[in-house]
Amino acid sequence: MILQCSYQKGEDNMQLQKMMTYNLRTDFITEIIQMVSGLLLFLFLWVHMLFVSSIWRGAGAFNVLANFMDRWGLLPFTIMFLIIVFALHIGTVLRRMPSQYLEHKVVWKHAKLIHHADTWSWVFQSITGTAIIILAMIHIAIVSFAGINAHLSALRVQSREFLIFYIVLLLLSEYHASVGLYRVFAKWGFVNRHSMKRILNFISLFMIFIGAITLGILYTLGA
Amino acid sequence: MEESGMTLFVVLNKIREEQDPTLRFDFVCRASICGSCGILVNGRPTLACRTLTKDLPDLTTLLPLPVFKLLGDLSIDTGIWFREMSIHTESWVHNDEKFDLTAQEERMDNEIALMIYEAERCIECGCCIGGCMMTNLKPNFIGAAGINRVARFMMDPRDKRSNQKYFEVIGNKEGVFGCIGLLACDDNCPVAVPLRGQITYVRRKMASVGWKMK
Amino acid sequence: MGKHDMFMTDVLIIGAGLAGERAAIESARGGLNVILLSLVPPRRSHSSAAQGGMQAALGNTVMGKEDNPYVHFIDTVKGSDWGCEQDVARLFAETAPIVMREMACWGVPWTRVTTEPRIYDGKEINEEAEKVGLISARNFGGTAKWRTCYTADGTGHTVLYTMDSMVMKYGISVHDRVEALSLIHDGETCYGAIVRCLRTGKLRIYTAKSTVIATGGYGRLYGASTNAVINEGSGMSIVLDTGVVPLGNMEAVQFHPTGIVPSWILITEGARGDGGYLLDKNRYRFMPDYEPDKKELASRDVVSRRMMQHIRAGYGVDSLYGSHLWLDIRHLGAKHINTNLREIANICRQFNGIDPVHELIPVRPTQHYSMGGIRTNIHGQAYGLKNLYALGEAACWDLHGFNRLGGNSLAETVAAGKLIGARIAEFTKDVASNVSFSVVEEHLYIQQTKIDRLCSGKSGTENVYELCNKMQDVLSHHVGIFRTEGPLQEAVSMLRELHERSLYIGLRSAEGGANPELGLALRLPGMIRLALCITKGALKRQESRGSHFREDFPKRDDVNWLKRTLAYWPKDAKEPVLRYEPVKITELPPGDRGYGEANARSKSALK
Repeated sequence: MILQCSYQKGEDNMQLQKMMTYNLRTDFITEIIQMVSGLLLFLFLWVHMLFVSSIWRGAGAFNVLANFMDRWGLLPFTIMFLIIVFALHIGTVLRRMPSQYLEHKVVWKHAKLIHHADTWSWVFQSITGTAIIILAMIHIAIVSFAGINAHLSALRVQSREFLIFYIVLLLLSEYHASVGLYRVFAKWGFVNRHSMKRILNFISLFMIFIGAITLGILYTLGA
Repeated sequence: MEESGMTLFVVLNKIREEQDPTLRFDFVCRASICGSCGILVNGRPTLACRTLTKDLPDLTTLLPLPVFKLLGDLSIDTGIWFREMSIHTESWVHNDEKFDLTAQEERMDNEIALMIYEAERCIECGCCIGGCMMTNLKPNFIGAAGINRVARFMMDPRDKRSNQKYFEVIGNKEGVFGCIGLLACDDNCPVAVPLRGQITYVRRKMASVGWKMK
Repeated sequence: MGKHDMFMTDVLIIGAGLAGERAAIESARGGLNVILLSLVPPRRSHSSAAQGGMQAALGNTVMGKEDNPYVHFIDTVKGSDWGCEQDVARLFAETAPIVMREMACWGVPWTRVTTEPRIYDGKEINEEAEKVGLISARNFGGTAKWRTCYTADGTGHTVLYTMDSMVMKYGISVHDRVEALSLIHDGETCYGAIVRCLRTGKLRIYTAKSTVIATGGYGRLYGASTNAVINEGSGMSIVLDTGVVPLGNMEAVQFHPTGIVPSWILITEGARGDGGYLLDKNRYRFMPDYEPDKKELASRDVVSRRMMQHIRAGYGVDSLYGSHLWLDIRHLGAKHINTNLREIANICRQFNGIDPVHELIPVRPTQHYSMGGIRTNIHGQAYGLKNLYALGEAACWDLHGFNRLGGNSLAETVAAGKLIGARIAEFTKDVASNVSFSVVEEHLYIQQTKIDRLCSGKSGTENVYELCNKMQDVLSHHVGIFRTEGPLQEAVSMLRELHERSLYIGLRSAEGGANPELGLALRLPGMIRLALCITKGALKRQESRGSHFREDFPKRDDVNWLKRTLAYWPKDAKEPVLRYEPVKITELPPGDRGYGEANARSKSALK
């Protein structure tokens, strides 16, 4: 009746198909892909922000950059890059997300119960991640069909719906990126995670600030 | 409730003696050494024996730690969980050399001894397991206690297991790559085992093994 | 019998602390089938709480130079106040270094010798370069050399965890959360035990060729004890209940000088060993006045008595919880306190809100260890019943006599486990399993009837918790550090009355199963019987020896009392029957301990 020394959990049972397809490194590689794709997206976010903020120096500067990208066919390249990296990130991250209703309930119950900031931030991470998928797809679709041009952007921002859309996307992506990068440090070490958190918070606020100014400039340009 | 130095150990025993004689809970050493009394106090995993009532709000909720098998009221079966984990990770020094009764002991650098002790200090209370999102979601994840246990043997020069062997045990999603880095374990460990340090140590070591593996 | 789970094995070990597990490993290595029973998961056993260390004459440190088992033996005999079995002490002292090295080989991260200089008692200590990396040692009370091996402040913890890892390695079955209620025996031979599962409350039958008791001490008979709450002496009491096996020297109860006030959690001897002082209410270091030579590090019985003496003289610090003294470790420095004494620093901070780096720790002598227990011979075989063994604190192997040296108990568990485990393996091979089922039925029936009667609600009206608290009060107040005829006499009659009442306990919850109230109700009569053995033994022993101190007989009396008390409890008796046996003196004739009352003002000549 009480046989304590038997490890009887699911995966110790022999399953032929599982044995034959088993690769020792699967979980390791998935983990690495998740991290690298996340870091690439983070990097992209920064570059993107820098490029867009060229509007600070006037519509001319913005358009020069846009034309440069157009001439060298960088736009489709970037879009392809984004789709692939997004797909990898989503594909690897999905394994962590609760997939069943019951698991969702567990996540909420647990987060509400233990009063732990990092645990809540993971719940928000899943929510913001899901939202970003939808918002970013819309954003990419618009840009790839309409092309990049200061005038167009300025006009778009004039519409209240689009302005809200961009503000939300800005906030969500900065939050997601910040927490994601913090998590990488938390998992791999090297730095004190508490001071890292403060630094990343500062960086995110700074980026949001830049983004807000950029949106503001576009708004005034449009008006 | 006003006596100074009153702990949940005293309170729960009083309740059992005076109000509900069937109330089940576990205490052994009542000195935060044995790890029997892991519990959620207002949601936070901690040891009941050293929770002072003067630090608690007027209304306090006590719940048994999740993940473990519930035996009744606040009593949970942490012993079985930890035994299964220990056997799964083969938590003993793997060394085939025969002990020589007459020989002097093998030397060890004191720094290494202290490092091993740092990991060995885990008291198996289960606070890291109960407070972990992943163990709550995926029952097969061995949690911070499991990863720390493996770290303890990894840094022990007496254990002759190869890195490949360790990778087979915890280089997967049930092991260190199942950790999503929320670190409630590190924040809640009642004996302050540096769990984040242990997890990152194992993760980096396993990553380098995984990287070189064919 | 059909509705009960039944287990058959070669060796049944009751108690999975260090002693039980070490014996289990040795038996399993001898090719036997072993089952370990435990009240709690093995790693929660009280062995884990031993912070200080284990004595073994390795002689690796400068202060332990030229140490050898003979010196260790002499320290042990003196510590015991010549109450120990000298052949046992000798065997133990010779085995201790071997088991220490064996534990190192199995994985204990012993603190090692380093060349980093240490300051001790104002002197700087520099280790020899050629010893670096060997097992280090610290100072403990009552020893001529520094001999106590340790892992920082978690010796018991690491040794127990390592031991348990070997239990897993050898695949030994452990059944935790069970409690043995009685031994299965026919008055001549022991066949196993009737056991209650604490998860479900169901009874189980374990039959075995050899049964081993390693259940530890009975600290919880006293209200204020450093012991874990599970240390209720249940192993001793089921053995006493057989009526044929005696308990030895039950009056020898050790009080540890430094239990923290008011939770009575142990502050390890390591705190004084590493250089801590005891101070009185004037912050005056008083121990050198009483013990000029050993100061705070005389043996535990002496320091405890000196502390109580000093409190009685009016130098105690008054508090809500009675008078106490101070332990001062501030001068050891934050670094030392936070590494080598971390566990006690944590205890001070968490349970008392005190930071020992800057503040004094309130301490008072507190019940700590039982030198007495199930009387066995040098092979661990219990007197009176075949195929029954005992070891560790539960046993009176008689290594400790009337006072145990700090660091000797942990070392005893492992050394005795190895030695006695090997004997068990050897002797069990010749035992045929021929348990008669009527014997099993009989014992099962007795226990089942007891439980049914308690659960029926018709067994009486006595409150189990009230009786238990009364028993604790009687022992604490009448059978403490200083003992006299009058109070002891009174204690015997009070305990007799409590024992009578304990047979008519009425549960407030008629619930069967794993009900904790039922558990205590089953144990309590046995606990009171142990209390009676202690008290009556103390009453009859008209001398002072080791931790047993009679104010009306303050001198050791080797002419009349160089003997060991054996307490029997015949069937249906009202109190124990005491017999005596001589103490075995093989090498060291009774003499001066070099500390304590006999030597109050003379410097030790024996060092």
